[in-house]
Amino acid sequence: MKNIPHENILLFKSCLVNVEYPGVESSTRYLFDHLGVEYQVHPDQSCCTGLGYYYDLFDQYSTLALAARNFYLARESEHTNITTLCATCYAILKKSLHLLNSNEKARSKVNEILEEAGLSHMKYEANMLSSEENIFHIVEVLYSKREQISQKIKKDFSKIKVASHHACHYCKIYPEQSITSSRNPMLLDELADCCGVKVVDWYDFKKATCGAGFSQRFANRDLSLSATRDKLYALEGKADVLLHMCPNCQMQFDRYQPVLEKELGRKIGLIHLNIAQLAALAMGADPYEVVGIQTHTIPVEDLIDKIKDIE
Amino acid sequence: MIIMTNNSPQVEYIPPVYKEKRLRHSKNPDKIGVFLCRCGDNISNIIDMEKLKSSIKADFVAEFENLCSINCRRHIREEIIEHDLDRVAIVACSPLTHLKTFQNYADPLNPHMVEMINLREQCSWVHTDQEKATKKAIEVTRAGIEKLKNAQALDKIIRQTEKSAAIFGGGISGITAALSLANQGIKSCIIEKKPTIGGNMVKIGKVFSPEKLAEECALCILNPIINEVINHKNIHIMTRTNLLRAGRKATHFKLILEKDTGLVHEERCIACGKCAEVCPVEVPDEWNQKMTTRKAIYKTFPQAVPDVYTIDRENCIECGMCAEACKMGAIDFKLKPEVIPFQAGNIIIATGHENYDLNKRPEYGYHRFDDVISQMDLSRILGVNGPTQGELLRISDGKVPDKVVMIQCTGSRDEKADGKRYCSKVCCMIALKHASIIREHYPDTEVVICYTDLRTVGMYENYLRYVQDKGLKLIRGRPGEVSKKDGKLVVRVEDTLEGKPLDIETDMVVLSEAIEPSAGTMRIARKLNVGMNQDLFIKEKHAKIKPVNTDMGRIFVCGTAQGPKDITDSVAQANAAAAKVSEEIESGTEAEPPVAVIETSKCDLCGKCRNICGFKAVYKDEENMAVDPMACRGCGACAGQCPQEAIEIKGINDQELYAQIKALLSDKEEGEIRILAFLDNVGYTAADTIGYNRINYPEAIRIIRIPSINRIMSHHLMYAFNQGADGILMAEYPDECMLEAHKAKIKELTEKIAAEGIPNDRLRFYKAYAPHYRGLNKQFHRFYEDIRAEAKI
Amino acid sequence: MMEKKHKKSQHSLVREIKDNLRASPDLGIKRCMQCGLCTSNCPAARHSDYDPREMVKKVLDNNLEVLDNPDIWNCFYCYTCASNCPVNNSPSLINQILREKILNTGGNVSRVAEFIEFGYNYVEKGVGTIPSTFFQDLVDDFGEDYPKLKHDLPDIRRKLGLKEYNLKGEAAAEVKNILKASGFTQRLEKLKKIA
Repeated sequence: MKNIPHENILLFKSCLVNVEYPGVESSTRYLFDHLGVEYQVHPDQSCCTGLGYYYDLFDQYSTLALAARNFYLARESEHTNITTLCATCYAILKKSLHLLNSNEKARSKVNEILEEAGLSHMKYEANMLSSEENIFHIVEVLYSKREQISQKIKKDFSKIKVASHHACHYCKIYPEQSITSSRNPMLLDELADCCGVKVVDWYDFKKATCGAGFSQRFANRDLSLSATRDKLYALEGKADVLLHMCPNCQMQFDRYQPVLEKELGRKIGLIHLNIAQLAALAMGADPYEVVGIQTHTIPVEDLIDKIKDIE
Repeated sequence: MIIMTNNSPQVEYIPPVYKEKRLRHSKNPDKIGVFLCRCGDNISNIIDMEKLKSSIKADFVAEFENLCSINCRRHIREEIIEHDLDRVAIVACSPLTHLKTFQNYADPLNPHMVEMINLREQCSWVHTDQEKATKKAIEVTRAGIEKLKNAQALDKIIRQTEKSAAIFGGGISGITAALSLANQGIKSCIIEKKPTIGGNMVKIGKVFSPEKLAEECALCILNPIINEVINHKNIHIMTRTNLLRAGRKATHFKLILEKDTGLVHEERCIACGKCAEVCPVEVPDEWNQKMTTRKAIYKTFPQAVPDVYTIDRENCIECGMCAEACKMGAIDFKLKPEVIPFQAGNIIIATGHENYDLNKRPEYGYHRFDDVISQMDLSRILGVNGPTQGELLRISDGKVPDKVVMIQCTGSRDEKADGKRYCSKVCCMIALKHASIIREHYPDTEVVICYTDLRTVGMYENYLRYVQDKGLKLIRGRPGEVSKKDGKLVVRVEDTLEGKPLDIETDMVVLSEAIEPSAGTMRIARKLNVGMNQDLFIKEKHAKIKPVNTDMGRIFVCGTAQGPKDITDSVAQANAAAAKVSEEIESGTEAEPPVAVIETSKCDLCGKCRNICGFKAVYKDEENMAVDPMACRGCGACAGQCPQEAIEIKGINDQELYAQIKALLSDKEEGEIRILAFLDNVGYTAADTIGYNRINYPEAIRIIRIPSINRIMSHHLMYAFNQGADGILMAEYPDECMLEAHKAKIKELTEKIAAEGIPNDRLRFYKAYAPHYRGLNKQFHRFYEDIRAEAKI
Repeated sequence: MMEKKHKKSQHSLVREIKDNLRASPDLGIKRCMQCGLCTSNCPAARHSDYDPREMVKKVLDNNLEVLDNPDIWNCFYCYTCASNCPVNNSPSLINQILREKILNTGGNVSRVAEFIEFGYNYVEKGVGTIPSTFFQDLVDDFGEDYPKLKHDLPDIRRKLGLKEYNLKGEAAAEVKNILKASGFTQRLEKLKKIA
């Protein structure tokens, strides 16, 4: 397995975490604080552009130039282990570094853009950072700390059944770099196992997309929901919680589940949590002040009621 | 000492070593004879023979019409004897066509005392200006004579390969090779790491037969061959045996083998099976693909050879019940693995293949769903000696499936991580074989094959038609996953001919798993230092013309150790490997210079020579570095690497090179251009072909034949430049196994010449191809024109 | 002459894709053997007439009709096709490049029109946002709790100890300048005009 850092981490803010599930960020900070992971959030960091990129709106150069600026902030603040909350940020940044390092033409064009913007000091030189060694997802950091997590569990989740939804942009864009197989992703399952949760390791459509499809959710709602339906129906009665590692997927399931339940005429009854939220809850974090369950559409309270302190 | 009897019985054949000494140390130098050939008028119509003749300084000069004609043989011999000639120069045509002829004509002289000067291909056929051509001819002839004066007499190197072979792997390939060798009187030893011989073939039940359009019983074909093997006086079988170490000698290999005993005295065991009856340990049986169990003491299958029980140490709990039950006292827990030194003249690698680990394609659910099985699993299920006695039953519920879907290319033709890029070659036929058996015996069971391309090459196309007639559904599409819904397996695939994604519900899925190199193949390749290809099969020396040779002399390969193939091809290749071993023993015993020779006293064993040699001719023979003359091409790469200057290339020494260079650049006139072309055999052949086609090139081109550019050092080139060379062209065929050495050489020479202040375009390198003589000709012209253009400025 | 010219343009779509910055040099598009594995796993193919294999075929055939096919706008960009393509092709990436080509030549701009606001928001604040044009759709689906959540968000974030995420001052100006220099702002204007 690749080397996962525990210090000099730049916790990379995510647009959808910001406004939909801010509890994912606060849970991550809670976990990092409790696990001795040294990190920083940079106030000047801009978004990765991922949503816009996949809305077919952002061109590659604009995305690259903004990435170069963020890479500058990481270098300047000496927190070069960029760790994302969102799978799309993860892949966008990996691709950006890969291009900046390997494509000389792209690199000089980006540096021209920065110069024209009056930001010559932000210019990027090849291999200042590495696509393989400087971009991580928070799940990887948590996974590398799984032993420690399992020792800090305070809540009894043993009666809860969870299934996992592994984000496509983490597993499928750079499959050779992810620490789980894209063919049979088990990263969240193993992490959940460390939290003392019963895991449904396989279900039909486990590897399939959440259905958000970036613009599809808005421009092609029915198509988008068809894909979401595949997964939710396959999980009906199989699990209590579906675990996430990307705010876009979490939003798709948590917000649209009632729509699909209405259409189905019965409750599917899944609760949606990010793995960081689950781990924080298991370690005893406050549901409202840390985990942020108040922004969820499917109420998490039922689950909170079920879990008791470990004697 | 050989006495010449032909014309003058009193003439004694003086051994070359003696003659050489005389040249160096006595005041009377060797007598040189020069024989000129007009070649009809092929040479004389352009070259002024009189002028040429008068320019030659030698002890004897004569001119002939057709020097290669058989009556000239008598002339040459007579003159050698009459004038007591020690060395002869043949001024005629290309050594590639006639050197052997003239070496024969010049007998009793040592073959290396004959030098051919190529006036036909390199002067009269490529130049039209008589005066210039004659001038060049004079210089070329002088260079040849100077080279000849410095030539060393060398003896042929004789080596007798030991008449025996070690065959690694006791599958159909190894067995076939052993039997062929044994029948030719060559002692063969089959070394097998498993407890029994027979390999994969004993497991597969039926084999496809396009000839009979039927499936035949594999064991029924194999058993008589195995019986022949066990009874053959020239074959020794060692099972449960691994190779620990291998050493290479001039005439044989020294192997250190380790034979595990399986805690049973083989000679005492009568295979009564009482031991297994009482053994309390049950483990999954690999022979039935773990669908059944066996005991910790077991015999692989009823017809196993050797017919003895063996203990699987990993699972044995050493309770001793078997030992108690054994009336023969064959079981002995104190038995230790035995280390056996073994010697063999040749090696055949027949270590076979393994089946692809289906865990690497978890989307097909092999380990998730009971009724997703591999073709090998299905072979066992359909085998009458298998877990269901040959009945097609589902593992999950023991029912006959209504529908079976087969997925081709599982792990094959896949560039992704853990995939195999190659086609496994046999899976299409295996799927069809099983489809045929199922349709024959279970007409109510539907069989669907999802394929990308159906590869039933050659006669196997008949078999495809035969199985299609039995009723077979073919879907062209590569499935993405196997899932389970409401108790049914679901295969998700696009029918690409319809352009429709499908969810095919089925009762059983069979994955056509890729063939991959066995762990044993990779291990043995590393131990024997035999090259593997990028997919880690044993690499043949040449895919077309040396398909069973490895890159290591006297080590051969056959069967699936070399790549995926079916039984037919494995058997053919095994027979070919045996033929090659036999050829090695019977005739492959003479090596000719140029070859590298290591002076052991100077050598400090740094190993650089061994590392650079792509022909794997250099090896460490106990204390010393040694060169296998059979493998050595005399290219000189090792000599260039040797920091101790301990390596000499016999057959083309430095003095010869210097003498040639100097003479080819002599008499250079004001404003004249001289380009030296160092050509390897392929380059030289291309140059000859320019001559056959009577294509002109500038007289400035002067050719020196070398074994390889690796032979040339920067000091040779600097000497040439200092002697007046305007340019140097080095042309060589890009031999795959020496590519790295070539690249390093080109870099080294370029840098060193540049450091001496020679402009970099004065040293050029060219990849020569025999048929592409026009390319070489273009190089000659371009080089000449470039230098001329530069001189004008 | 005519024939030669025609021949040259035969591979232009493939070449355009291979030369696009988004594509990696080892993209296996030319090695596609139409096995259909991409389609078998594709959520859009499962639920619409989109067929990634067919799209790649049209690209390989240099069939420009592919640009007019509305189905290509159904791709989810989930990369499932790319993750197990046996020849290392990526229909998802090809799709992105085709859509970019269409938009750059002024085609199907209405499809992205409603997302243009995302661009303007980003230029101003340096963060991604869901365009307000969709807000009512979301409220219709998610219910009245959703606008309430948006209203309460600053309080919730404060409670969770999270700071402001919109860029301000110098940082915002930097982002704005970059997007101006990269031509993005101009691109937005152009798209807006066509839309």
